[in-house]
Amino acid sequence: MNPTKTDRAAMDSTAIDRILAAEEELIPSSGFASSVMERVQEEAALPPPIPFPWKRAVPGIILAAGVFGWGAFELVREGARALRSLPISAPHLSATLVLPIEQAGWVALALGVSLASWLFSHRLAGCSGLL
Amino acid sequence: MIETLKSGAEDLADVERVLAGDVRAFEGIVCRWQGPLVNMAWRYCRDRGRAEELAQEAFIRAWRGLAQWRRESSFSTWLFALAANVFRSELKRFPTVDLPLETAPEPSRPALQHHALEAKSRHEQVRRAVLALPLRYREPVILFYFHEMDLSAAARTMRLPEGTLKARLSRARALLRTRFPHLDEDYAGMEFSSQQAGKEAAR
Repeated sequence: MNPTKTDRAAMDSTAIDRILAAEEELIPSSGFASSVMERVQEEAALPPPIPFPWKRAVPGIILAAGVFGWGAFELVREGARALRSLPISAPHLSATLVLPIEQAGWVALALGVSLASWLFSHRLAGCSGLL
Repeated sequence: MIETLKSGAEDLADVERVLAGDVRAFEGIVCRWQGPLVNMAWRYCRDRGRAEELAQEAFIRAWRGLAQWRRESSFSTWLFALAANVFRSELKRFPTVDLPLETAPEPSRPALQHHALEAKSRHEQVRRAVLALPLRYREPVILFYFHEMDLSAAARTMRLPEGTLKARLSRARALLRTRFPHLDEDYAGMEFSSQQAGKEAAR
């Protein structure tokens, strides 16, 4: 009687299991541990990486965020005021209003792209064990 | 079990000493784990020189990131997961020569008198065929057999759910079976001829 497909699969996987599990043990070369320790000593002798100067950067970041937030608030406020002053039936916005709104859109897009790329690189660095 | 506990305690003590500034204490970790890491790297690339380079890189990354081991898992689990990451990314940057699975040669039937050599060569062909598997199936196979067929240990190293790993293993075996359809018969024949040769030698 011919073995069924399942039996064959089981036999095959047993053969595969037995072959792959019976791997000969590799012994590291005699100088391996010392060469690793040499590199570790070299790493240890290096000066520690300069930490990011958060104390100096934080006021700047807060200031920049404040200026940006204020700018965005003013832009929206001016835009809303200009919209209110327009007749309801106006088919399109005036050129003086369209330009700042367009620019704000680009700025928002650039910020979004920057944030996404930062998140992505952080994630990649985390996955590769760099962080 | 006692060995594992002892090793765990020694690892913890060495890590504490390294973190306290004693660089030499890392040597204990290297001596204890050099064998497993070199063997694990060997299964990823099947090149002895490269395996030692990869294992060395894994030790250096472990040294740099030692403070990140949170003691929630055993040191070995953390080390193996880190090493798997290193091997994966290093082999992506500088891959070994990858043959497509279809080009991995299927072994011919062994001649009785050369059974040992034939068997060795055939086993090596099967092991090399593992390297020709797509990465998502290759790594589960490598780690499953490296961990002596302990599914949960392999899953922890890959940081994957056991079910996912099991499915990928099953797919990998199916791919290997398509490449080596006569493996079971050949293996049985080889076992038989090996026994026969043993009997001949005994006479």
